[in-house]
Amino acid sequence: MKSAPFEHHEPTTVDEAVSLLESLDGPTILSGGQSLVPMLRFRLANPDVVVDINGIDSLDYLHEEDGYLRIGALARHADVEDSSLIDETYGSFADVAPLVADPQVRNRGTVVGSVAQADPKGDWGSILLAHDGEVIARGPDGERTIPADEFFLLPYDTTLDDTELITEVRVPTPAPREGSAYHKLKRKTGDYAMAGVAARLVLDDDDVIETARLGMTAVDITNARATDAEAHLEGERPSSELFEEAGGLAAEESNPESDEHGDAGYKERMVDVLAQRALGDAAERAGLVKRRVSQ
Amino acid sequence: MTDEREITLTINGTEHTLEVEPRRLLVHAIREDLDMTGTHIGCDTGNCGACTILKDGEPIKSCLMFAAQADGAEILTVEGMEDLPEATDLHPLQEGFKAEHGLQCGYCTPGMLMAGKALLDENPDPDEETIRDAISGNLCRCTGYQNIVSSIEYAADELADRTATDGGAVTAEPGGGDGPGADDAEAVCGQSECCGGPDADLFERDYPTEDTDT
Ligand SMILES: Cc1cc2nc3c(=O)[nH]c(=O)nc-3n(C[C@H](O)[C@H](O)[C@H](O)COP(=O)(O)OP(=O)(O)OC[C@H]3O[C@@H](n4cnc5c(N)ncnc54)[C@H](O)[C@@H]3O)c2cc1C
Ligand code: FES
Ligand code: FES
Repeated sequence: MKSAPFEHHEPTTVDEAVSLLESLDGPTILSGGQSLVPMLRFRLANPDVVVDINGIDSLDYLHEEDGYLRIGALARHADVEDSSLIDETYGSFADVAPLVADPQVRNRGTVVGSVAQADPKGDWGSILLAHDGEVIARGPDGERTIPADEFFLLPYDTTLDDTELITEVRVPTPAPREGSAYHKLKRKTGDYAMAGVAARLVLDDDDVIETARLGMTAVDITNARATDAEAHLEGERPSSELFEEAGGLAAEESNPESDEHGDAGYKERMVDVLAQRALGDAAERAGLVKRRVSQ
Repeated sequence: MTDEREITLTINGTEHTLEVEPRRLLVHAIREDLDMTGTHIGCDTGNCGACTILKDGEPIKSCLMFAAQADGAEILTVEGMEDLPEATDLHPLQEGFKAEHGLQCGYCTPGMLMAGKALLDENPDPDEETIRDAISGNLCRCTGYQNIVSSIEYAADELADRTATDGGAVTAEPGGGDGPGADDAEAVCGQSECCGGPDADLFERDYPTEDTDT
């Protein structure tokens, strides 16, 4: 099926994009198009106006600055995959980038577009939650910083306003003894997650877990944190028993639905297993990896 | 601005100017407006990879992009492969698919060739895992992928052989001459100017089944 007809605007600056969003009637932002184009074609989205942000060169970046890893709206999944910054230090980023979709989709789709899409099966939402990330939005009233925790409302629904453009998502640069990881279960290469878990641990000098975060994919109405499991981990020393307990708690906190990929009980069991594996990798990376000091 | 707009696409080295509506997909512009039907449409939803082309050197799915967004871009489609500098009669990848039975119905083949081309441009000596990853966005319902992997390995070997023997200059050997597999074919059919393709005897080999997964 063809998309319904629409006007195509191609701003070259953020200011221009924001004023288009404010002045036009019912605009939709087009970024990598890897979710929006099929939605337009199936007429699940029928905007009269499309504001295509691909020409705003100032949004094409991925770098560390002022204590954050900053990902501009035009950084593609492949840019993360190929970036020299993304190594064990950003373990969960290194894990997730090659697991999103397939090479062609990664060449066009953006991290920010995925976050904006707010598909509970999307991988990046969990990473952002696990890293206490933030969404930076520009609208007619200026810039707004939305903690990832407060961003996702429902499937495909966020706290973003129709007249707002996300310019960046960012996460704090890792603490000296921080490790993170992402584990994803999928039916076949290139698929969305059946279940996924991002884990991040920060250890203190005595190897006690200072901060624990778990972000879950595809097992609730949005990407979601497993806060009971996090609380159980903090103040303890990493061990496989502790991670088993945390995995069990995360499974209890998840709310998966039965579908053609598996029933809810199976998916809960998978959350348990994936959480344990992600925590194991995160702990190893927190303990073993020598940190770059970049703050 | 729902009106048609003039865009320029350089496809396989030739510049084309065309009028498109904003909602025109790149794949439709290529196939219908420019009548280049080598690029296939399998799913129209971004899942199958049959519509893969190279845009400014990068593999993308042309059903997930509007034609107007490709204004000014350099595009490579399967039709352009035999005119690339590394091609003789055919491109080494095409020779590989022929010699290694990398296709059955051929529907996925243009997309597979594009994904393979993008891979070899970046990594001339990929291992099997890397090849499988590079074609992970391309579905094949026929081959079970094993022979597609072998076809891309064939092309990599062929290109490496040429670099080793003549510093990369193009040799005019029909049928992919000295690549792996060609020896077999020649041994069976024995003709010096043969296509390098299969002889009936080769069909009696045991081929892997579709259980071998990407
Ligand atoms: C075959 C296939 C497999 C996939 N598999 C996965 C997978 O395994 N995991 C996964 O996470 N994703 C997957 N995806 C989705 C992919 O990651 C998309 O790239 C992503 O969902 C959307 O990013 P985009 O840049 O393409 O955004 P678009 O499709 O352009 O936009 C998506 C939505 O976000 C809005 N939007 C985009 N950018 C902004 C912005 N800067 N500010 C405000 N709103 C904005 C748009 O208006 C639209 O509503 C897959 C897609 C395909 C086609
Ligand atoms: S036709 Fe484009 S991915 Fe299937
Ligand atoms: S050869 Fe038939 S789909 Fe691949």
